[in-house]
Amino acid sequence: MITGEKIVQWIAGLVHWIYGVFHISNYANLLDIVVEAVVMFAFVAVFVMFLVWMERKVSAHMQSRIGPNRVGPLGLFQTLADAIKLTIKEDVKPVHRDKIPYFIAPIVAFVATFMGLVVIPFDQGVVVQDLNVGVLYVIAITGFTVIAILTAGWSSNNKYALLGGFRSAAQIVSYEVPLVLSLVPIIMITGKLSLNAIVLYQQQAGYWFVTIQFIAFIIFLTSATAEANRAPFDIPEAESELIGGFHTEYSGVKFAMFFLGEYIAMVVSASVATAVFLGGWLPLPFLHFLHLPGFVWYISKVLFVIYLIMAFRWTFPRLRVDQLMDFGWKVLIPISILNILGTGLAILINQGMK
Amino acid sequence: MNMDELKAKIEADFKGHILSAFITPQKELIVILELESYLSVCQKLHDIPEYGFQHLSCLTAVDYPKENKITIVNHLWSYQHAHQLTVKLDTVRDYPKAPTVENIWKSANWFEREVFDLYGITFEGHSDLRRIMMPDDYQKYPLRKDFSDDGFIIKPN
Amino acid sequence: MTDLLLSQIRTGQESQFGTDEYVVNLGPQHPSTHGVLRLIVRLDGETVKQTTPVLGYLHRSIEKICENRTYPQCITYTDRVDYVSAMSVNLAFALAAEKLMGIEAPPRAQWLRMIMVELQRIASHLLWMGSFAGDLGALTPLLYGMRERERIIDLFEMTCGQRLTYNYIRIGGVMIDILPEFVSKCRAFLDYFEKCMEEYEELLTYNPIFLERTKGVAVIDPEKGINAGVTGPALRGSGVSCDVRKQQPYLYYEQIKFTEALGTDGDCWSRYRVRMDEMKESVSIVRQCLDRIEPGPIEAKTPPVLKAPAGSEIYYRIESSRGEMGIYLVGDGSAKPWKAKFRCASFNNIYLLDELTRGWKLADIMATLGSLDMIVPEVDR
Repeated sequence: MITGEKIVQWIAGLVHWIYGVFHISNYANLLDIVVEAVVMFAFVAVFVMFLVWMERKVSAHMQSRIGPNRVGPLGLFQTLADAIKLTIKEDVKPVHRDKIPYFIAPIVAFVATFMGLVVIPFDQGVVVQDLNVGVLYVIAITGFTVIAILTAGWSSNNKYALLGGFRSAAQIVSYEVPLVLSLVPIIMITGKLSLNAIVLYQQQAGYWFVTIQFIAFIIFLTSATAEANRAPFDIPEAESELIGGFHTEYSGVKFAMFFLGEYIAMVVSASVATAVFLGGWLPLPFLHFLHLPGFVWYISKVLFVIYLIMAFRWTFPRLRVDQLMDFGWKVLIPISILNILGTGLAILINQGMK
Repeated sequence: MNMDELKAKIEADFKGHILSAFITPQKELIVILELESYLSVCQKLHDIPEYGFQHLSCLTAVDYPKENKITIVNHLWSYQHAHQLTVKLDTVRDYPKAPTVENIWKSANWFEREVFDLYGITFEGHSDLRRIMMPDDYQKYPLRKDFSDDGFIIKPN
Repeated sequence: MTDLLLSQIRTGQESQFGTDEYVVNLGPQHPSTHGVLRLIVRLDGETVKQTTPVLGYLHRSIEKICENRTYPQCITYTDRVDYVSAMSVNLAFALAAEKLMGIEAPPRAQWLRMIMVELQRIASHLLWMGSFAGDLGALTPLLYGMRERERIIDLFEMTCGQRLTYNYIRIGGVMIDILPEFVSKCRAFLDYFEKCMEEYEELLTYNPIFLERTKGVAVIDPEKGINAGVTGPALRGSGVSCDVRKQQPYLYYEQIKFTEALGTDGDCWSRYRVRMDEMKESVSIVRQCLDRIEPGPIEAKTPPVLKAPAGSEIYYRIESSRGEMGIYLVGDGSAKPWKAKFRCASFNNIYLLDELTRGWKLADIMATLGSLDMIVPEVDR
């Protein structure tokens, strides 16, 4: 049976053979890191391309339209055409911008979210780096996007962009708290922060955490949507109010970086959600007989969560900024704290009964 | 109230303050006022419950260059009694001035700005009399009958 | 923008904490201002201190043009006054001119006019619903509304060949009779549309986010509304009974049973509710008209050149989709009107925008503008 581990070993073998051909096997350790980064980038690029196509098709079918269907079979190459268009577009820059922050902001937006993919377990043993503080690392990295958005808003020298930057900073900072608090019960139950270890715990326990921590799953999903600046929390880029929000003054490749950053943030959040709540690369209990490799399960679960996030966008209107803050601080945080208390009590009772 | 009762009541109440009141062949009641009593009559038409003209439907002006006047026309409507009234005021075409009814009906604010913009009638007592459709530094009054575009639009021969 | 305007706007004092106020231009080009309306907004953070609308970006001098065209030629210009709801403006002008000249249109023409205007009301409200929800962030109802509107426009295209600017309702009657299959297609559409209305109600009306965005926002006090000249669904949302079809009935509205849709609170949600109810009422009106229409002539016998008697004038009001539309015509004995004035609902409705949005947030300006159903060609003519 093909597993993710076997595929990785096969690719590693191929790469080391190529090192041998070029007589650079001495630097294998160093080069491995570079190759891993390149492979991850390629995987993410293809996956995001697929996701953009999926978003357009999902939104089209929800709005009783067809969506892209001309470029390639079923319109699959539409994103490739869009990527080419964005790269050959003229780079229009405002004259009175702040040059260095304006240049850095999209790069930070992309790199920060991309770094979050390091700890995601795609299959048993297929992790770029199985940090034992995996969850902590991912949460810390997602906070970086605030800097990118604020910088973009400020350096554009545009009142709309600045408004968008402020709103986004306030929103992301306030939704970090429920994001973390919803993961705390899981950490309390498993006692580990590493995502791989959490998936293995679910394998041993025989159930997924979504069954016993459903509220935490909902809170995590909502906060993740807010972190990625997606509707119904897409105030920073509210098209009908601020035209483009913080990315009004960006065009071409720079805009593509922001766009990519948003999608990768979505992928990272969905991956963490599947790893922690939906059992990562574990198969569905009653479909075990299909003998599909772990990463197929992983990707289908991630796609399911992303589909949910996309469906939110095209169903709900947008929340106003102060209502958004109210919802984050006054509703989500108390519920997640109550959840932690409840889980703590349950653990104590469980230990007491043993 | 129907048209004739309304006409009789207006002629009785505002004796000496109105120039004329008549019903047109198209079944509309028109009252022509004079400059001194314009504001007080309009105020009474708004305030007295038997009239109850709470709604200023339209305030506009008509240019009669041959008679050297620009007439301000107010169309009033009462929600309670469901009757309509047209109130007119003639202003001299060379120095057109009129008191503002903005304090009686707020909707007159923008209507009078539009009349000022397009006809050039100055409304005394208006809180914010400036142009509304044309650019702020436009010099002419477009809806007057002697408006010419001064070669701005090049007509084909 | 001249210094006069700027100085009038910057009269606000700075607050004691030393924060500065922020003047933002929701400029003529904007996805949410329903046309080229420019709003100069003075903000304190996110809170709106003052909104100044700047009009005139779509001023096409239609009134001046109408003074140089004959009455039938003016009807083509009325389509452009409110292109989202063109049949209503056609009707207003035709009825005003007919009353001015003493022409009476035959019964079949009147029934046809009623059918067209009520279908147009549904189409206009569908566009309003789509853009209102789109401004708030729900982009899906826009496409659902367009899907239904396509079917109504197909019916119009079947009748008069045009999809947006119809020029169908003429002085003396209508342009051309409906095809035999119009009645069956219209009935089929009405049945299908009632099911769609249920879908929209489910999607929007009691959605918690939608309620939070619209409940209690921008309340129009009934007294202030009447004084400021607000008409139509914007005023009916505050509970004032002001439908021209009930107060000064025209066409055959006295013979048709329909209820006036009234709201209770005067906030954005009430105005939304009023328009949704109006769509349902329009469906019932069209059904009644289709039941009662009889074969007959569709145009009255009119003289070849339509002239209004000298010294005559008329002010005729109808209930268009946005509110009260009034046409003021002055005749001078010739074939061209001496004066034609279009009193449009949107012009008066947005007068209150400044008062309504003070103290609310920037996002509420969009909700308010959307709920007032303003359209810029009506404002600027």
